[in-house]
Amino acid sequence: MNPWVLAVGLAVVVPLVAVLVLNLGRDPRSVRSPLIGRPAPPFSLTPVGGGAPVSLESLGGRPAVINFWATWCVPCFEEHAALTAAARTFREVQFLGIVYEDEEAATRAFLAERGSSYPSLLDPEGRMAIAYGVFGVPETFFIDGTGRIVEKYVGSLDRGTIATLIARAKGGAP
Amino acid sequence: MIPTLGRTLILLALFAASGGAFVGFATGVRPTEIGWLWTRRLAYTFAALMGLANLAMEYALLTHDFSVSYVAHVGSRSVPIWVSMVSLWSSLEGSILFWGLVMGVYVAAATWQNRDKHSEYMPYAAAVWLLCGAFFSFLLAGPAQPFATVPSPPMDGPGPNALLQNHYLMVIHPPFLYSGYVGMTIPFGLACAALLVGRLGHDFIRPLRNFLLLPWIFLTVAIVLGGWWAYEVLGWGGYWAWDPVENASFLPWLTATAALHSALLVERKGILKGWTATLVIGTYLLTILGTFMTRSGVFNSVHSFTQSAIGPTILVFLAAALILSVVLLTLRIDSLAPEGTLETGPSRDAAFLVQNLLFVLFTFTVLLGTVFPLVVEAARGVQMSVGRPYFDKLSVPIGVALLFVMGVGPALPWGRATSQQLRSALLKPLLTGAAVAVLGFVLDVRNGWTMLALFLGGFAAHVTVSEFLLPVRQRMRSHGEGFLEAFGQAQRRGQRRSAAYVVHAGALLAIVAIGVSSTMGTSKEIQLRAGESTSLGAYTLTFVTAERVSEPHRESIRARMDVTKNGRPLGSLYPSMNQYENQREPIGTPAVRTSLTEDLYLSIHNIDPDSGTVGLLVLVNPMVGWIWIATAVMALGGLLALVPSWRGARASVTATVPVAAANPEGSH
Repeated sequence: MNPWVLAVGLAVVVPLVAVLVLNLGRDPRSVRSPLIGRPAPPFSLTPVGGGAPVSLESLGGRPAVINFWATWCVPCFEEHAALTAAARTFREVQFLGIVYEDEEAATRAFLAERGSSYPSLLDPEGRMAIAYGVFGVPETFFIDGTGRIVEKYVGSLDRGTIATLIARAKGGAP
Repeated sequence: MIPTLGRTLILLALFAASGGAFVGFATGVRPTEIGWLWTRRLAYTFAALMGLANLAMEYALLTHDFSVSYVAHVGSRSVPIWVSMVSLWSSLEGSILFWGLVMGVYVAAATWQNRDKHSEYMPYAAAVWLLCGAFFSFLLAGPAQPFATVPSPPMDGPGPNALLQNHYLMVIHPPFLYSGYVGMTIPFGLACAALLVGRLGHDFIRPLRNFLLLPWIFLTVAIVLGGWWAYEVLGWGGYWAWDPVENASFLPWLTATAALHSALLVERKGILKGWTATLVIGTYLLTILGTFMTRSGVFNSVHSFTQSAIGPTILVFLAAALILSVVLLTLRIDSLAPEGTLETGPSRDAAFLVQNLLFVLFTFTVLLGTVFPLVVEAARGVQMSVGRPYFDKLSVPIGVALLFVMGVGPALPWGRATSQQLRSALLKPLLTGAAVAVLGFVLDVRNGWTMLALFLGGFAAHVTVSEFLLPVRQRMRSHGEGFLEAFGQAQRRGQRRSAAYVVHAGALLAIVAIGVSSTMGTSKEIQLRAGESTSLGAYTLTFVTAERVSEPHRESIRARMDVTKNGRPLGSLYPSMNQYENQREPIGTPAVRTSLTEDLYLSIHNIDPDSGTVGLLVLVNPMVGWIWIATAVMALGGLLALVPSWRGARASVTATVPVAAANPEGSH
């Protein structure tokens, strides 16, 4: 038995394994945007299909899930069903879609075909996307009752992740 | 049908591998002829089952059987046949299946080659291989499940990652990488066997070294293919970014290179046995760490596939392998007693030692830089990355020091050198080095490190060539042979030695080319309208037009750039932007004009055919082409070193058969 080998071996192996284990639970798509913890930038946009503009104030202190999407994006297509179902489940949370660099006609056809349970807003000049620092779609922001951004998620969401992040936006455990 | 068949094959492979590992260990502890026979049979069975499982998947991919979950995930009716074939390794689950195939081939080949040799070690070695094989079978049977059944199969699938279809290098890079990674299992098993037996004899270091050399060649090529792919595809003009996953392939390469050298000292002097075993085991552990890095999603990297249950499973295996290795080394390293002493004065022995320490230092430097962001994130919750400055600052001096050792080491004799020997061995190479450095100065090299690299590169090149030719000159003198005859004879007799110098020639060429290309390049970014020109160095570029090109699987917009150098027309280059059907961002393809002295590299930032404008990144990169050539030289040298062992293996099989028959129990 060689105590030196043991000491050096453990000195390398234990911290390495510890660091890998600590980082394992992390989801690389849950991005730490500088906006997290800050008040959500204000907006006021018209829904697809017309109607009164929807603004941050009009949420009236409810938590919100704001999902940037487009019809040309495959991951958006994949998460659409999960978001629609979650909006039906979590009635106390306002879901909003923001159409990112897309035609209104294409969006309308997409929603007519696949259905939706929450409004999608048109952002024709991309001002809201710029204010929220959107790189690409899909990106989803979770906003708490005081209007602060709690989480930003990049990529396609599934039901479990939506539930976890909503729980965080509501300030409770999942 | 295929899903059930595939899952059955994987389960049987899991049984064969676990059974073989158990029988192998039992045979190692209590050697019997029948135990070794069954270990071998189970090893071959494992290999055959993995081969069949891969065939089943290929069949499913080619027949578009979307009831197989992996095919539903990456298959598509609209892609060419070759894309369907290589889709096997285009995504996570399939690449683990392919991993199993490579492992099966290696395990079967290593078992077959040593079926009647090294009888005290081999059952242990095969047991370790099959234990690793059992883990990957488990990964395929449980968390990865490429053969899961899709209850209502879709009519068509999305097709593999567009990057795979974008460039042929993406198709050939993974097989090389896996052949490198997986192949390290074999020397790992052999080193564990040596520790378990408590002996690393002169006879056993040969198979250890050869089975280390083969995956080392694959890994060398794979690393450079990865860099080449980045250079030809990603469009930022470089070939290496110290991305965690690039580092993941570089780390085991460093320790394997160190082990190849220390194995020579084991073979020649019977020293550094435990150290060599540690390096070989470390190499394997680093390949598993690399696999974890690419498969877990822990590292934010362009290469990471996705998050899945596969990450945690590999981490458990990695942790277990790390701890078991430390325990094994702690308990058994002292049993590998040295048979000689290490010469510490100026000598070739000492150069080997310095080389080894430099490589280990390099390994720890890269490992620390790769893992450090994770440490910070775990401790303070801040995302950060260790940028290129850290890696560049530390790797440049280490690279230069390696050039120095590569020059001085072979110039020194074994055992202690006298000052007279030192002077005569070092004088002429020093002059060559100085000449190369002066040449560099004339060609406008001003960077201090690059000058030093040129000087040491010239020095090492002189030593390498003269050591390579030394036996030739000796034969010409003593046998009176002509140059060609002496050359042929010397190569035949000392092929491993000459091969090593071929590898060195490639390595020092690569280091110098990397140094020159990373310090002597020029670049500019520019926006051009149709008909406008720009110049960089001796080149003048004219943007003629933006064209749309339509192919079945993609739409491209390419810029036609007419190139002249010193007024002489060189034809046109076509950097392009490609839009794939199911990819949201377009993928650019740079256009590179390679010549022996420098590359002209054009990459598009933005292009608008309607208004006729293009935003371009233009680079002139000197000597990049030499990196690819140098790699080919290194790989060739590695293969040359393997050839005599294959010949030797065949010869010794026929020679040892009667001995083995007379004494079936080996040394027990």
